[in-house]
Amino acid sequence: MIRRFYAGIMISLPLSILLGGVSVAYAQVHISVSKAFGEKVIVAVPLFDVDGGTIVAPEDVRDVLLFDLSNSGYFSLVANTEFVDETETEDRVSGRINFQEWAALGAEVLVKGKIEGTLSEMSIEATVYDLAQGKPIFGRRYSGRHGEWRAAVHRISDDIVKQLTGEEGVAQTRIAFVSNVTGAKEIYVMDYDGENRRRVTRDNAIAIYPDWFPGAEDLIYTMIRDSRQETRRVNIETGTTSRVTSFPGLNAFAAPSPRGGEVVMTLSRDGNPEIYRLRADGSEPRRLTFGRSTESSPCWSQDGRRIAYVSDRSGAPQTYTMSATGGSPQRLTYQGRYNTSPDWSPKGDLVAFTAKIDGVFQICTVDVGSKEIVRLTAGPGDKEDPSWARNGRHIVYSVTSGGKSDLYMLDIYELEPVRLTSGAGDYLSPAWSD
Amino acid sequence: MRRFAVLLMAVVLFSGMTFVLSGCGSREDVVEEPIIDPAVTEETDALVGDDIPLYEQPEDVVYIEPGSSIFDDIQFDFDSYDILSMNVGTLQEISSWLAEHEDVRVMIEGHCDERGTNEYNMALGEQRALAARRYLVGLGVGSSRLGTISYGEESPLDPRSTEDAWAKNRRAHFVVSE
Repeated sequence: MIRRFYAGIMISLPLSILLGGVSVAYAQVHISVSKAFGEKVIVAVPLFDVDGGTIVAPEDVRDVLLFDLSNSGYFSLVANTEFVDETETEDRVSGRINFQEWAALGAEVLVKGKIEGTLSEMSIEATVYDLAQGKPIFGRRYSGRHGEWRAAVHRISDDIVKQLTGEEGVAQTRIAFVSNVTGAKEIYVMDYDGENRRRVTRDNAIAIYPDWFPGAEDLIYTMIRDSRQETRRVNIETGTTSRVTSFPGLNAFAAPSPRGGEVVMTLSRDGNPEIYRLRADGSEPRRLTFGRSTESSPCWSQDGRRIAYVSDRSGAPQTYTMSATGGSPQRLTYQGRYNTSPDWSPKGDLVAFTAKIDGVFQICTVDVGSKEIVRLTAGPGDKEDPSWARNGRHIVYSVTSGGKSDLYMLDIYELEPVRLTSGAGDYLSPAWSD
Repeated sequence: MRRFAVLLMAVVLFSGMTFVLSGCGSREDVVEEPIIDPAVTEETDALVGDDIPLYEQPEDVVYIEPGSSIFDDIQFDFDSYDILSMNVGTLQEISSWLAEHEDVRVMIEGHCDERGTNEYNMALGEQRALAARRYLVGLGVGSSRLGTISYGEESPLDPRSTEDAWAKNRRAHFVVSE
C-alpha cells in the first residue's frame, strides 16, 4: 500500500488562543517522496538560531520537536546529531543551505528555525525543506509568551505531520488522569508528552474515572465523599465544577457522547449496576440494559450509534457492544475470562481493552467486525485502562508494578511503550483528549 | 457491650442535611461551586432527574470512629458477591439489631481486593453491598433503611499484597446512620 505524502502551503490558518501563527509564503510545492505504509520520512533538525533575549533554549526546542516527530510514527531522525550540527555550522558559514550535504546524511526533510525573544514575547519560526527538490515546503512563525514555547513547538510538529502526511497529529493534545500524590486521589491533566502536569480537582476526597467532553476543556469524573458517589463536571482552565448526577449507589464510568450532549454511565439506582444514557446535565436518565448481571465501563463509538461496555452475564467479565439506544448485546471477546475497560477507537472499529493473560493484565484490541484480537503489550506489570488518542494510532494506559502505577503511551504500529510519568505517587485511569 | 460503648463515642459529623425527594429535574439543583474552595460541604443531596429512586440514601451519617463499625464486616470470595454461609450469623445479628433500633439506617460499603481491574472492581464492590442489602431485606429490614456505596479497591483495610490482606479487603462494611 503506497501512501502519498503531500504538502502544500496554507496561507491562512486558524489562530489558537495562545499562539498567533503567521505563514511565510512560499510557492506551492509537493514533497517528492512516496512511502509505503509504515515506512518513515527521515528528518534532520539542526539547532534553531537564537535572536534576541529569550529563556527558550534551542536545545530544549529541538528535544521537544524530535520527541514529537519521532513519536508521531511518521518520521525517523537522522541518527548522527554531530553530523547534523556540523552541516548546520557549514550552512551558517556559507550563508546558504547546502541541500546535497543534508541529503548525504540520509535526510529527506530538513527543519530549520529561529527563536526570537523580546521582553514580553517569544516567537519560533520553522521552515521545512524537501531535500530532494532543494525547496521549502512550508514555513510559519509561532508567537506567544515565553512560557508557551512548548505549545509552540507542539504546534510546529502537528503542522509538519499535517502538511506531510495529511493526518492530524496529537502533539497538542492532553491526557487527564488520577493521581494520589497529595495523599487523596485527585484529577490532573498534562500535555501528551507528560509535561505541564497540573491538578484540576481539589475535592480532598476520592476523585476517579476522568473522561473528556469534546473540545478538551471540560472533564466528567466520579467523586466519592461522605459515603456517596456523584459525577461532577469540571472546567480544566477555570476549575469551575458542577454536579451532574448523585443517584443512590454507583455513579461511575461516565463517558460523554462524541458531540458532548449526553453521557453514558453505570448507575445502580434500580438495585443492580446497569448502563444508563442521560443528558449531559444528568437529567432524563434512560436505562439501556436489563438483567441481573453487572454492566460497567460504557464508551461510545465515534459516530455515537453504538456503545461498548463490560458485562459479566456469561459468568465472567467480557466486552460487548449494543446500540446506543439499548437492545441486544453483541459479545466482542471470547478469549480469556477477564476482559474489561473497553475504549472505542475514534478511527474505525477497533476497541482497546484490558485482558487478563497468564495472570497479568495486558492491553489488546479487538476488531468489532472480525472479532480478531491483537495483543499490544507483554511482560510483567499490570496494564490497565487504555484510552485512544484522536488519531486512532496512539493509546495511553497505566502500568502497575511493585505497588507503583505510571502512565505509558504506545503507538499501536510501533509497540514501543513510552513512559510519561515518574516520581512519587501513582498515576492511573488516563483519558486522552481530542 | 462493646457496641454500646462505641455508640456513645458517635459523633454526628453531618447534620442538617436536607433530602430533596422530588421536583429536582431542573438545572437549578445542580450546585455550581468554585474549585478553589475545598471546604464546601454539600447542603443538599439533589437527585438530578425526574425519577424517584427505589430507595434513599441515609441522610446523616454517624461516624462511630473512622474505619470502625458496631458490626463485623462480612467477607467474600475472589471475584464473587455471593453471601457466604459463614457470614449469615453477622447478617442476622444486624437484622435483629435494626429491628430493635427502628430510627437507625445503615450504609453498606462494598470493597474489593486490588487484583481485579479498577473499574470492574468498582462495579463488583457495589454488587457486594447490594447482595448484603438484598439479604437484609430478605430478613425483614425495610429497604429504605439500607443504602449502598462502592469503594471498589480504593479503600483497602490492609494495603499489603498478600492472601491475608486480600481476604480482609474483600468485604462489606456496615456504617450506622441516624
